[in-house]
Amino acid sequence: MLKVLIPTMMLFPTIWLTSPKWLWTTTTAHSLLIASASLTWLKWTSEAGWAFSNMYLATDPLSTPLLVLTCWLLPLMILASQNHINPEPVGRQRSYITLLALLQTFLIMAFGATEIIMFYIMFEATLIPTLIIITRWGNQAERLNAGTYFLFYTLAGSLPLLVALLLLQQSTGTLSMLVLQYSQPLQLSSWGHMAWWAGCLVAFLVKMPLYGVHLWLPKAHVEAPVAGSMVLAAVLLKLGGYGMMRMMVTLDPLSKELAYPFIILALWGIIMTGSICLRQTDLKSLIAYSSVSHMGLVAGGVLIQTPWGFSGAIILMIAHGLASSALFCLANTAYERTHSRTMMLARGLQMIFPLTAVWWLAANLANLALPPLPNLMGELMIITTLFNWSPWTILLTGLGALITASYSLYMFLMSQRGPTPNHIMGLQPFHTREHLLMTLHLIPIILLMTKPELMWGWCY
Amino acid sequence: MASRLSRIWPTLSRVRLSAALGSRCVSQTPKSSASGAAVASDLQPVSPAAQDSHGHAEVSPFEKNPDFHGFHHHDSFVDQWNMKLAFFFGISVAIVIGGTFIHYLPDHGMRQWARREAERLIKQRESEGLPLMTENFYDPSTIVLPSSGEE
Repeated sequence: MLKVLIPTMMLFPTIWLTSPKWLWTTTTAHSLLIASASLTWLKWTSEAGWAFSNMYLATDPLSTPLLVLTCWLLPLMILASQNHINPEPVGRQRSYITLLALLQTFLIMAFGATEIIMFYIMFEATLIPTLIIITRWGNQAERLNAGTYFLFYTLAGSLPLLVALLLLQQSTGTLSMLVLQYSQPLQLSSWGHMAWWAGCLVAFLVKMPLYGVHLWLPKAHVEAPVAGSMVLAAVLLKLGGYGMMRMMVTLDPLSKELAYPFIILALWGIIMTGSICLRQTDLKSLIAYSSVSHMGLVAGGVLIQTPWGFSGAIILMIAHGLASSALFCLANTAYERTHSRTMMLARGLQMIFPLTAVWWLAANLANLALPPLPNLMGELMIITTLFNWSPWTILLTGLGALITASYSLYMFLMSQRGPTPNHIMGLQPFHTREHLLMTLHLIPIILLMTKPELMWGWCY
Repeated sequence: MASRLSRIWPTLSRVRLSAALGSRCVSQTPKSSASGAAVASDLQPVSPAAQDSHGHAEVSPFEKNPDFHGFHHHDSFVDQWNMKLAFFFGISVAIVIGGTFIHYLPDHGMRQWARREAERLIKQRESEGLPLMTENFYDPSTIVLPSSGEE
């Protein structure tokens, strides 16, 4: 654990002491080395689950894929931001990368936490750098509103969580995940207990987000700069899913009945947000709503509490993290050239950027869950487990899969196919950096097809 | 559409090379039937000397440095080295070496062994004519049941 955490902390001196000329080179190389070191976490040495532990942090098959995803994303964020941050003064460039590295540190500690209060503190701590990134480096005036929605939605959900956790600490005497997984099921029956159950989960449902409390997401994703959008879509949403999976251990047996409305809301959200995607004119907004749709499926999978549901949820989280981040990078390449997110304005790009059209196709195929990519595998497992719970869900999930395919294809056809309008005939060619960024997103998805057991969680 | 493109292609290729003369987004092609749509940049006046927010003004960085990789605008040496290191650490180290490490990870939980063993046992039992599996997991003679009847 420390062999990744200490180099991550050492990123801060690297950022502030490197000469301006070599700032981006060194931070990219340093963070890629950290990402390579994080792959050692995939060697699960113990059969009992928890490995690489010290007094406060440990990894287990649930947190490992998310930790590796987090570490992989930092160099990708740095690569993506390099172009639009470069014109700023060096001090501000350093601050920007510092915020990204700070976010990374908090996320590693959040996913690695063994004590739920530590997870909670890191969960809240990730809000600060993200808020600063959105409100300081966002491009439109709406970023302030977006930051407000982002901050207060999450805080409103997490205050009940704090109370619930303190209550849990008082009744069980511990909040260590290692101990709680073996504790006796709690006697939960009264209305107060139901409120406690809801308090434990609301924060994570807001973070996921669940349809109904999802309004912060399109705003935050759209107004954030590309690195902010990437980290939000790829990792921060997964904090919610991860938190839910950890809390589910202690929330039985109430979850059998109480999860019902949330599962239905999640499933309904898949269809509603998918339909909204078909009506979007703003490219980033479309990708943001598609994130809500996929996370609705993950929420359904987690709330079902079956082994397949959990495995499907983890697989879908990792695959969606990479695919969604790839789409945001592509949207940013279009934005940097045309300074507009309107899809109508940047269409027919295949004629002028043929190789990039391949990346667009691959990312959209991943988003629409094309077999044999892990996106489909996760979705199939969740759909199957939901069908087992209630056959009627197949109507919602099947329709949702159909709508997902429609809006992904719509995004592809809208941006790539058709005649290229004259006002964008003279755009800058694609940079090597941008091609590298896309390959670093897509190659892991393809490689994960060959060894999916890395993502199966506890059930492996 | 291809015929329209071939008509304006010669002008188009000249447009890209002479991007220094005009703004990025204004079409330099002669107004033909192909350019029916309103041009977006007509909405705002563009001054050629204006520095846009990316700092590369109206000049494409490919003008000065045809081998621009997208990493550093003004220094081609840094740009090239940034590209080399990003590719080396990103692909050669992280994906290739990391991928090899992951490929050779031990068989966690003996799952792959279990599958191979099952296939081996099936093949062995089929060739010996034995049933694949006995109905009883435990030997029934070792199970002691409470006597039924009076309790």
